[in-house]
This record gives sequence, structure tokens and C-alpha cells, in this order.
Amino acid sequence: MPMGHTATEEAGSGGLTATEHRLANGLRVVLSEDHLTPVAAVCLWYDVGSRHEVKGRTGLAHLFEHLMFQGSAQVKGNGHFELVQGAGGSLNGTTSFERTNYFETMPAHELELALWLEADRMGSLLAALDEESLENQRDVVKNERRQRYDNVPYGTAFEKLTAMAYPDGHPYHHTPIGSMADLDAASLEDARSFFRTYYAPNNAVLSIVGDIDPEQTLAWVEKYFGSIPSHDGKQPPRDGSLPETIGEQLRTVVAEEVPSRALMAAYRLPHDGTREADAADLALTILGGGESSRLYNRLVRRDRSAVAAGFGLLRLAGAPSLGWLDVKASGGVEVPAIEAAVDEELARFAEEGPTPEEMERAQAQLEREWLDRLATVSGRADELCRFAVLFGDPQLALTAVQRVLEISPLEVQAVAKARLRPDNRAALVYEPTAQTDAAGTEEEEAAK
Amino acid sequence: MTDATTPVSTMEFHPQPRSGAAKPWAFPAPERSQLPNGLTLLTSHRPGQQVVAVEVNLVAPLEAEPEGLDGVATIMSRALSEGTDKHTAEEFAAELERCGATLDAHADHPGVRVSLEVPASRLPRALGLLADALRAPAFPDGEVERLVGNRLDEIPHELANPARRAAMALSKELFPATSRMSRPRQGTEETVARIDAAAVRAFYDTHIRPATGTVVIVGDFTGVDLDAALADTLGAWTGSTAEPQKPSPVVADDTGRVVIVDRPGAVQTQLLIGRIGADRHDRVWPAQVLGTYCLGGTLTSRLDRVLREEKGYTYGVRAFGQVLRSSAPSSPEGATGAAMLAISGSVDTASTGPALQDLWTVLRTLAAEGLTDAERDVAVQNLVGVAPLKYETAAAVAGTLADQVEQQLPDDYQAQLYVRLAETGTVEATAAVVNAFPVDRLVTVLVGDAAQIAEPVKALGIGEVTVVSG
Repeated sequence: MPMGHTATEEAGSGGLTATEHRLANGLRVVLSEDHLTPVAAVCLWYDVGSRHEVKGRTGLAHLFEHLMFQGSAQVKGNGHFELVQGAGGSLNGTTSFERTNYFETMPAHELELALWLEADRMGSLLAALDEESLENQRDVVKNERRQRYDNVPYGTAFEKLTAMAYPDGHPYHHTPIGSMADLDAASLEDARSFFRTYYAPNNAVLSIVGDIDPEQTLAWVEKYFGSIPSHDGKQPPRDGSLPETIGEQLRTVVAEEVPSRALMAAYRLPHDGTREADAADLALTILGGGESSRLYNRLVRRDRSAVAAGFGLLRLAGAPSLGWLDVKASGGVEVPAIEAAVDEELARFAEEGPTPEEMERAQAQLEREWLDRLATVSGRADELCRFAVLFGDPQLALTAVQRVLEISPLEVQAVAKARLRPDNRAALVYEPTAQTDAAGTEEEEAAK
Repeated sequence: MTDATTPVSTMEFHPQPRSGAAKPWAFPAPERSQLPNGLTLLTSHRPGQQVVAVEVNLVAPLEAEPEGLDGVATIMSRALSEGTDKHTAEEFAAELERCGATLDAHADHPGVRVSLEVPASRLPRALGLLADALRAPAFPDGEVERLVGNRLDEIPHELANPARRAAMALSKELFPATSRMSRPRQGTEETVARIDAAAVRAFYDTHIRPATGTVVIVGDFTGVDLDAALADTLGAWTGSTAEPQKPSPVVADDTGRVVIVDRPGAVQTQLLIGRIGADRHDRVWPAQVLGTYCLGGTLTSRLDRVLREEKGYTYGVRAFGQVLRSSAPSSPEGATGAAMLAISGSVDTASTGPALQDLWTVLRTLAAEGLTDAERDVAVQNLVGVAPLKYETAAAVAGTLADQVEQQLPDDYQAQLYVRLAETGTVEATAAVVNAFPVDRLVTVLVGDAAQIAEPVKALGIGEVTVVSG
């Protein structure tokens, strides 16, 4: 059963190593030893996310993730949570566009329990799934949506931006939380068929990181997961390919009860896993990461037109990544003034490229962010799964920081020139309504 | 791979595995020392933690802000990194980021806290910048003016956030108007607008000095000459040795009552239900931690078992105890501190009345019947068992060590807490949590649509209901 890589340290991996294995049923397993602290992280990525959802059933992958905590053949009700927490562990699950992950961090001597629990629900969730837990978790998820998006100022901005950057019908057009109407429409049969389609050992990667005995760990994995049947029911996600740029300026103006004007924007950027994506990460860091970035210096320090200004990168493998600009206006400042300044800075950057000092700073920032992610066993386990599921090679996680440090200023300039342009921008403008106009209306000027 | 045409087999089930033998782990004991300038130093070498965490405690409590200048401690904290005797504001930010470092400073009731995180290889350089910020901040007029404007712009954003708005309303309600704790930590539009560079400089001169400061440094120091780095940086900071001012006791009015902050059209109601109670110097603290966890520490605790997992009213409701400010009984001022004990979460608007009804039923049942031994056991196993996970990173260890310093606790407090938690019984935990959350002495703040929730809430009889505008 053990195959492939040995645990030889690669350059730039910070001393970390990982081994890869595959069970007969197709479950991929990645192990990484680290005996500094008596803890072990278990991370399981299923290769299914909101991009696999169909029209009318948005939010199903995430709702389903909640159902995975409602018991399985040998685990009653909330037993998964109770047993892990009772063992001194912590746990959760999350759903994104491209994957659903489940993770437990355990005191090292409780590792076997986490494996038993994950295997039980991978193999037998449907034995416990019923209408009552679906109804309950539907309400919980609807309240999650209200709490995180609907009842927060600008809370639905990200949803609006993705809907503009990825056209109607595109698998990334909607976000993982889904719509209230679709959450209401999800049936028990939808959930069952979702499990039968996507939850299989051959559609998952299991990583185990920390104070482990690799031989013993692999024997446990074989014992608990080895007999779970594989199946090939999964359909590939709908094609996410799109032109590299949007091709026109999109703009939506939202009149809502928000505390200040805001300019947000989404740019289509290179797919994750490419050098160009790393170059884009550096470009966005130089332009809008931290308090020495060009946009912060311009808008917050010099023009004093913004209370906050920054860029974020959502790395995506199956569709263009998303660069996300977020500027909250200072009192009295109009959006066009901010927009003109942003365009000017982006154009200047595309023209001049980064200075050597900017490259050094951005690379140092991204390096620290990587070190932070790799500082915990759970962070490392998640990254190993990410590279295994999305790019077929977990070893790439260990050298990711090295790749960012190898990017040249010319590559950063090139991606800025090609992508950070007005005709690749979906802009979302917030105009506050009076406090008394509570309901909030939405006015679309020139959307899609 | 299974051939798709073969009949579907089922998995082989095994009994739940037993635990292996636990490996020893202890909360790190820091080394304590003092630099010649009086600055207290706590260090802890954590192998493998490549990002070093530095926490600086400065005894500059919010209570020390001059009358009418609420927010000056916040503006001063932010201004520390806006230029020094060596760098302009922009240069300073650039130098920090060149180290791959982050530097945050904020002011709270116990004092000002400055947090630095930096890869170990660049620690000496980052310590130099940190020392410059503490030792020789320039407080340029223009930068302070900008920070004041920025802070004024932030206030509407905070007021719009339901959770922040609820916290402000609860503080206003609980504490006497004369207490600094009744007012927003970072000031109001009125007080912030009065702050200028001179006020910031005056606050700095009065309160910021090495002799009353403590620096906590945690991480992998392999290959770092920490002593030399410190001597060249924080060691060069000089200042007088004046005694910090004495804190006044924390008092609050927890008469049961309800305040609704009106948000017409809100789809959810933000709940914050609280009072003040024992801090870590009180012997009851471990039992209070245990009991509070059983009440609302996680989604299998009593509150979420009903409100989330049975009724679906919420994404989650949590009970917690958070120290506001604390001083040791042995200190000159004696024990003056308190913790905020609270329950918080949000529920959909239509479920507000029923959710509060259920919440009070959970509290009444707890008071009448107490916790079970099984609940207590699981809580102890979790609270003690998660320690090695919780303290994996340098930042987590440094944060707790700095909290201990801030609350005048001994350096082995956290290590001892785990021993005491394990010794705490069901009866003690029950008594502590029932005492912490008495049903008739809780102040309830609801940020939501008054037109829809006021009547159902009045019908509950949990106290007089007042509606204020959002």
C-alpha cells in the first residue's frame, strides 16, 4: 500500500516533509510527522464545492456539510462534536467554491478516534440522515446566512461581486452560502443524492499531520477507511473557463442603509497553481496589502479620502481567481474621486512595475503569511489537502513560499498590465440611504 | 478502484477506539528578568515556532484618559507607529513590512497593548522598530490629525455593526455614567474630535515608560542572540520610574431589565445578556469557567442544544466570561477587578421572543437541577485537553502570558488553572454558573426591530423594557 514519495526534505520547505499513500478504494492519504507538540491534525477534503451545485439548489454543498455533523451509523446525533470535544479536540468543517473540508485537531493520543469518526460518516451517513435533522439544519444555515451576510452592512457585497465577475450560469456565479429560496427548496432526497454522488473515498484526500507514528497511523486508516466502497458516480463540475478579462466595465450601484459610501471591485485574475497567480498575489499585496501599500498610502494617508483601502485575492483553480478591492469612503467623499485615484494608481503600477523595495516588502509579507499557515498542524494538514486535491501533488504545499519568492518584478508588472485594467473590472458602488429608509432598495445601472 | 458494475459492498464497522496513552504537556513557564531601564521581560523559547510573537503591556488604562478626551489612549496607540525619530510614518510602515512583520497597538481598560509578529530571522530588526515606536514616537501634527479623522470615520461603521452596537449599549447600561467603562473604549465623535497631537504627547509623557512596562517574547530563538538584540533596542529606552495610578473598583447595576436598540427592518435580533462577576483572582474562577462552558461554551452546551440544534433559532449562542480589568488582592489597591459575564448570539427576528423564553428556561432549569457529572466530565476533558492545541503557536502563548501580566497574576497561573479545573467538581461548577447568571439579575440588550420584538419580549417578564433609537 505505501507508495511514492519518501520523506525527503525539499529545498525551501522549512524542514517539513510529507509522504503519500493510496488505499485500494482510491482514498489518497498524506502523512507529515512533527513531534514538537503532542497534537495531531486530521483533515479530509472532499472534491466537491458550490461549483458542483445546479440551478435551484445553491447552498446545497454547505447545507450538506452541516448534515455531516448530525450523526452516522455508529455516531448518535451530535456525537461527532461531543466525542471530539470530550477528547480534548477541536473540529469543524467549511465549504467553498471548490471543496468541502472537515478537520479535527486532537491530542496525539486521541488520533484514532478522529479517524474512526471521519470514516463512519464517509461510509454510513445515510443510515442516520433524516428529515428532522435536515429541517433543523436548514433553519441553522438560514440563520447563519442572516448573521454573516444579510444583517451586516455590506454583508452581501461579495455575493454581488462574484455574480458580476462570473456570468449567469457559470459554476462560480453564486457563493457557497446559497439563496434563501434554494435553501428552502432543498429536500432530503437532494441531500441523499448529493452524498451518493460526491462522498466517496476516491473523491477525497485525507491528511494527518503532527505527533504521529506513520506506520500505526496508516494501519488505522486502512482499518477504518479501507472497506468503504468507492464509486464513480461523480460528474465533473461544469466548465469554469472564461475569457481572461471581463471585456467591459461592469458597474452596479446599490442604495442601502450602510454607514458610508464604498467602492468595491472584482478583477478576474490567473488561475491558482500558476506562476501568474503568484505574481498577481504580489501585485495585489504591493497595491493593497498592509499599511505601506500604494492604495493605502494614496487614499488613506495622502488623499484622506478613505477610512480603509485594500486588495484581497481569492485563489481559484477551476475558474479565474478573483482580486477583490474594498475601499470605504471617508465622510463626505464621493466615489468618483476615489475611483479616479484607484485607476490612476493601477495604471501607473502597470506602466512602471514594482520597485525593488516593494518586491522585498511584498515577498516578506507573503512569506510570513505562509509561515503563519504552516505554524499549526491543522494549517499544514489543510494546505497538504489543498495541493493534493486541486493540483494533484501535496508536496507542492511545502515549496509554495519558495515559488512566491522566485517571481520577478517583470512578471508582477505583466500580470498587472494584463489584468488590473478597467475593462476587467466589475465595480460595486454603495450609496447610503437615509436611516429611516430601512428596507433598502437595489438599483442596477449597467449590470451584466 | 471498485468496478462500477460490481454490487455495492458495505463498509466493515469497528467499535469506537479507546484513547492511547496521553503524552505530557505543560503550559510553558516563561523566564522572567528585567532590563537595566526597569522594563520587565518574559521570554519563552518554543522550538519550531518560526514566527516570533512579542507582546508589550503598558500601564496606561482608559481610566487615566483626561476628562472629555475619551479615545486619546487609542489615538496614541495608533500614533506610535506613525513616525519616530528615525523614520516618517510611511517609511516606518515600509520598514516594518520589509521585515515581514505586523505591528498592532490598541488601548483597553487595563492599558495599552502593542503586538508584534515577525519571522525569527528578522526579529532583531523588528525589535529595533518596536523600540523606536515606544521610545521616540514623533507624533507629527499631520499624522495625529489624520488618525483623528480616520477614527471619526470608523465610528459610524462600528455603530452599524449589530454586535458592536450591542456591546456599547450594554456597557452604557451596566456601569455608572461616571465610570469610564460606561463609555465606548475608543471614544465618541464628540471626544475624539477634541484630540490633537499635544493631547497625545501629554498622555504618552504621563503614562508610557519602561519601568512600568512588560515585554513578552515567545518563539523559536535558535540562532538569535536575544540578549544582544534586546540590549540594542528596548534596552535603549529610558524614562522615569513614576508609580502607575491606582485603579478604581469596577461596579455595575445588574437589575434585570431589557434595552432594545431599534433597527427597523432587521432580519435578526442581536442578543447580549450580561452582568459583571468574579475575575481570575477569585477562587471561584475555575468553577465559573467550567460551569459557563457547560452553559454555552460550544454547540453541544445547554444553550445551543436547545436554541440551535433543537429549534434552529440561531447559528450559535455562546456564554463567556471576559476579564475587564483586574488587580491582585495583594496589590496596594487590593482586588478591584471584574469580568464581564455574558451570553451573546443572534436569532431571526420572528424567533426573538421564543428564543429568549427558551434561554431563560435553560437558566432556570440549570438553577433548579444543576449540572450532571457527565457534563462536568466532558467539559473538564475539553478545557484541559485542548491546551496543547490552543497553545501551539507563539502568538497564543504570548497572548496568555501578557494577559497574566496585565491582570497581575503569577507567571504559572495558566499552568495551575489546568490543575484546578481538573479538581473542580460538579457541585462547585453548578454553584458558580448559577451564581454567575442569576435569572433576575441580567441586563438584556437586543439590537433589532422594536416594532416586531418589543411586545413578545415584554410578555416574558424578564424586566422593564426600554426602546432606544439605533
